[in-house]
Amino acid sequence: MIAIDCYAYSNALKTVHPLEKSIFAMMTMVVCITSPTLITPLIILAIMAGGIIFKAGIPTRVFIKLLFIPLSFLLISVLTIAFSISTNPSGFLFAQNINGFTIGIRYPELVKAGHLFSKSLGAVSCLYFLALTTPITELITVLHKIKVPYIITELMVLIYRFIFVFLDTAITIRRAQSSRLGYVSLKSSYRSLSQLFSALLGKVFLKSRELYDAMSARCYTGEIKVLTKKYPVRLKNYLIIMVIEIPLILLNLLWR
Amino acid sequence: MSKFILEAVDLNYSYPDGTNALRKVNLPIKKGEKLAILGSNGAGKSTLFMQFNGIYRPDSGCIKYQGEEISYKNKALIELRKKVGIVFQDPDSQLFSASVWQDISFGPLNLGLSEQAVIKRVEQALIDTETTDLQDKPTHMLSYGQKKRVSIAGILAMEPEIIIFDEPTAGLDPRHAREFMLLLDKLSNQGKTMILSTHDVDLAYSWSDRIAIMNSGEIIAHGEPSELFRQPELIERADLVLPWLIEMHYELVNKGWLPSSAPLPKTKQDLLINVPAKSNQLWRLA
Repeated sequence: MIAIDCYAYSNALKTVHPLEKSIFAMMTMVVCITSPTLITPLIILAIMAGGIIFKAGIPTRVFIKLLFIPLSFLLISVLTIAFSISTNPSGFLFAQNINGFTIGIRYPELVKAGHLFSKSLGAVSCLYFLALTTPITELITVLHKIKVPYIITELMVLIYRFIFVFLDTAITIRRAQSSRLGYVSLKSSYRSLSQLFSALLGKVFLKSRELYDAMSARCYTGEIKVLTKKYPVRLKNYLIIMVIEIPLILLNLLWR
Repeated sequence: MSKFILEAVDLNYSYPDGTNALRKVNLPIKKGEKLAILGSNGAGKSTLFMQFNGIYRPDSGCIKYQGEEISYKNKALIELRKKVGIVFQDPDSQLFSASVWQDISFGPLNLGLSEQAVIKRVEQALIDTETTDLQDKPTHMLSYGQKKRVSIAGILAMEPEIIIFDEPTAGLDPRHAREFMLLLDKLSNQGKTMILSTHDVDLAYSWSDRIAIMNSGEIIAHGEPSELFRQPELIERADLVLPWLIEMHYELVNKGWLPSSAPLPKTKQDLLINVPAKSNQLWRLA
């Protein structure tokens, strides 16, 4: 989570306009999810991996590790789809008979599972592309530009900022507790953790008050207005997006 | 026009929990002056600052801006806050955005400036606080001192007439503390009025035109730095110490290296320039 955030600020694509990156990632994701074939998602996964590793300069190891995160969820759901139970033992690729029931894998379900698996992985890679190349602050600006209500974008700004403030506070408290053997046994761990949360809750209230005061001191009147740095709009990037998307869409449409 | 740009008159304030934070505080501030407020922790410095731009409302007494009592109506408060900027002590409670650029642009945008003007001010503030190379970093990856400089930039970009700094050098390394003091000099040359709170007696003594000493919610003395530091009992009462320059000066006077008529040194150079070289002294004794 924090690693993704670090790369978002330090990757080689950070100077590319956030809207261009968002359009690219989102369009590709839609193409991936609507694809009737197994091939499109695999091509998309390859494109995104290439973009992340070669264009953005994210280490391969990091990207592969990130792909493993959804893999566990994915495997569980895919397995439940792949296996089926039936009273009719025909059509199974391999199966086990238990009391007249047949549990096993049939061909259509296997295809369906494989399809779902590749689609999900492809879509996740699109999201990773966006998350690894675009800082949240800029994504919020994009949301703001496409007229997402103020209340949502403002909350996002504050929540994102304070995730880190409170994370820091929590880490400091935890260190202070461990250095006084607060986590030496299970019992003391429970006690320390509850104290950590209550201390953090107090801090949240205090900080929110201080923040409000500090913002009022800068003439805050209920609407957070900020300027974001301008990024150059590059026609070339839109061309690249089209060159990638059009063949993929055609592949989807023409696949029979 | 009053001769004071900002003035606290008989200010009383207590927190909801009953702590008496300010007791009958009277403090006039002249336009363009450099005022240091010295006091130990919990003396009420930060609370006083919050009164100066209307964040807290006094229980009794009032704040006057250019001779007129400030109003606590929304519009009037905004006008006041355009003139009086506060740099808070904890940058984490001042920086609300994860983007340095966004955070600095917040204040000037609230002044109703055009986008172009805001961009110009943000860039100038970045240069003044030496944060230009931090502008693309998220605030949560900055060090404490860097965050502090960004929060200072956020106020500078609003170009207030009066800038209040709450413990500005706490947490800065010596180089950035020194550069911060240079920045203050620059602002002072632009005619800004500056108020600064600190525990650092050396800094307060060398920098300020005037010092106010606070102790448990009261201003126990205010006046010229050299006047105040001639009263050791006062300094002790406020849990402070004498600036090393003054201690050194007295020591040199006591031991006969300096005549008792020598003026109090304001800077290290002032002190050293008066100390005679050893050979001269020996020659004179012989």
